[in-house]
Amino acid sequence: MDARLRRVNKEIADCKNDRSSKIQLELVDDSPFHLNGSFPGPEGTPYEGGHFEVDIRIPESYPFQPLKMKFITKVYHPNVSSASGAICLDILKDAWSPVLTLKSTLISLQSLLCSPEPNDPQDAEVAKHYMTSRSSFESTARYWTHIYAGGPDPNAKDGGKGKDGQRDEVAIAGLEKAHVNQFEALGFERGKVIDVLRRLNYRGVNVTKITEDRVVEELLKP
Amino acid sequence: MTVNGPQIERSQEDEDVCRLMQQEEWEVLQSIYPECSSADISKGSIKLEIPIELGGTREVEIVDDGTLSSSAERLEDAGPSCKIVSQGLAPISLSLSTLPPLLLDIVLPSSYPLHSAPILLHLHATHSWLSRTALLLLKQKLIAMWAEGEGILYEWVEWFKSGNFLEAINSTEDSIVCLPHPSPIRLAKLLASHDALSAQEVFSHMSHPCAICMTSLKGSKCIRLACSHVFCRPCLEEYWGMAIREGGIGQVRCPDPECVKEGIEANEEEVRRVVSEDEVKRWKRLREKRDLDRDPTIIHCPLDFCQTPVPKPKTITDDDSSGWNRLRTCHECSYSFCAYCRRTWHGPHTSCAIPFTASFIIDYLAHEPGSSERLLIESRYGKNNVKKLVLQYEEDKANREYLERETTTCPTCEVKVQKSHGCNHMTCARCKTHFCYRCGTKLNPSHPYGHFSTPGLSCYSKLFDHESVEDEWQPIEGFEDL
Repeated sequence: MDARLRRVNKEIADCKNDRSSKIQLELVDDSPFHLNGSFPGPEGTPYEGGHFEVDIRIPESYPFQPLKMKFITKVYHPNVSSASGAICLDILKDAWSPVLTLKSTLISLQSLLCSPEPNDPQDAEVAKHYMTSRSSFESTARYWTHIYAGGPDPNAKDGGKGKDGQRDEVAIAGLEKAHVNQFEALGFERGKVIDVLRRLNYRGVNVTKITEDRVVEELLKP
Repeated sequence: MTVNGPQIERSQEDEDVCRLMQQEEWEVLQSIYPECSSADISKGSIKLEIPIELGGTREVEIVDDGTLSSSAERLEDAGPSCKIVSQGLAPISLSLSTLPPLLLDIVLPSSYPLHSAPILLHLHATHSWLSRTALLLLKQKLIAMWAEGEGILYEWVEWFKSGNFLEAINSTEDSIVCLPHPSPIRLAKLLASHDALSAQEVFSHMSHPCAICMTSLKGSKCIRLACSHVFCRPCLEEYWGMAIREGGIGQVRCPDPECVKEGIEANEEEVRRVVSEDEVKRWKRLREKRDLDRDPTIIHCPLDFCQTPVPKPKTITDDDSSGWNRLRTCHECSYSFCAYCRRTWHGPHTSCAIPFTASFIIDYLAHEPGSSERLLIESRYGKNNVKKLVLQYEEDKANREYLERETTTCPTCEVKVQKSHGCNHMTCARCKTHFCYRCGTKLNPSHPYGHFSTPGLSCYSKLFDHESVEDEWQPIEGFEDL
């Protein structure tokens, strides 16, 4: 049996036996080199209560080459692409070492959720949001955790049950309803308003910095 | 054809026999000395790491070989005996029962052991505790030990392992082992700590978990890096080998997360212990290139045992063209050397003994003006310096070409002689040697013209540089009118 297969089998078995870390590994198809890993969102973060799934591909020359990982679950995080789930983490690149394992790498992903690195972003828009208004960023991340990762409904206690099942595009984009309504009232399409305001990072102090004219100018662009 | 047929067959048969003999020898070696051998015989190359056990304690004396203390002597010139090395510090004496392992890189030719000896690619002493001269001598001895038709690897290992080889490099009669080294204090520390380590532990007999393949292996199959992390050889071989092949030499380091975080890379000795000779060379080349890209002024300390990267001192400016800007001093071992020829510092006014400069000036001239390669060389050696050297190089080159074209060298004293007129029989004005100006060979002084009058010799009838003898006697214009 080749060394890669032996090691991967051992790792999968180790993970199964260890229940304390709450890291799960499952085969996607018949190949032991394509896995689905998952872990709970870390406590005390906007990701708490969510269940995050990661697509794992084990390269030919594993463990000498890093694992290929990306989030299947959508995550709102500066170091994770909100569109593709691609992850910016040093140990998946230059800082990889063959002593790292499936489990330790997934644990590193979990701790990446605790401590974002906005200065080395994978998703620039999310990183800007994080830098501009931490509280707004966190509520958006929490909302994403709720709708994509099965986390608790952040609005549940406010009695927002009525809209259950309906996804709030404004909250997904991390914007304020009032701002979106304001520009929509000028006669622009709602989807376009959300798109522009998200791109302009129309949050926190930026709301006073970015003039209405600037926003309208963007909205008028084809 | 009938003659050739059986011969080819026989040599094919020989090769098969050799292959079997090699296989057998290797298996025996591995079972007797599992801790010495690594690498795969099927690849044709063998790596032996042989720890030296002196069988009880022996006196080891480390003497200063003068490389660092005196600028006149070079390491290569110093013999293995202690007599030459009287200058410098007093010798340091140690009582040791082990010495750091010797590393042997061997290739077995297909006709070994029947018709040829193993090829010794490399012989290296861990911590460079043996001088280059001693290693050369040992290499010769090793080859001499081989007798046609016999496997020699076992004897080689035994010879080293037992410490018997020390007699071959020790000129003194007594049993004191004398080791010349550029920095006795440094070496003494290394030897003592190695001895202490091997005395208290039985590394090779214990089993060690390898964090890469996640299995436990006997110490003989493992390697302990300088940071004291242990991995199995096959894993490190594959990891570093792959990194070197693919150019990712930043990966050639201890894989432990702590060491990765620290960013410490493997040193030359560790790399040498793990990968093949070719890979070591490639690794060194790539590392040099990368260091150049990072800081073009870095030069690795030229001493084998040190190799510390030495940057250009901040006090040197780019326009400084005095000889002093060639001076580099290693902050690790305090060796002072010339940045051009990488030899012991020879003062600001003496030019380098070996024209190393030519190699980088040729490199410089090969690139476009203003190119990044040129800027690199300029920043490394100083712009004005390079300018001066280019002028000097071009002048030297023109001189050399002129001498090549216009002169003949005296076969005895090597003075360049230029003929202004007359015949090709030359007598050197300096040493009185008779020689032929055409071909530069020595002539018999009592019979110098034989060279030109013997039919069949290349200079026959070429005493004068004319097409034929007839041309010699062309009528002088206007002569007949007289």
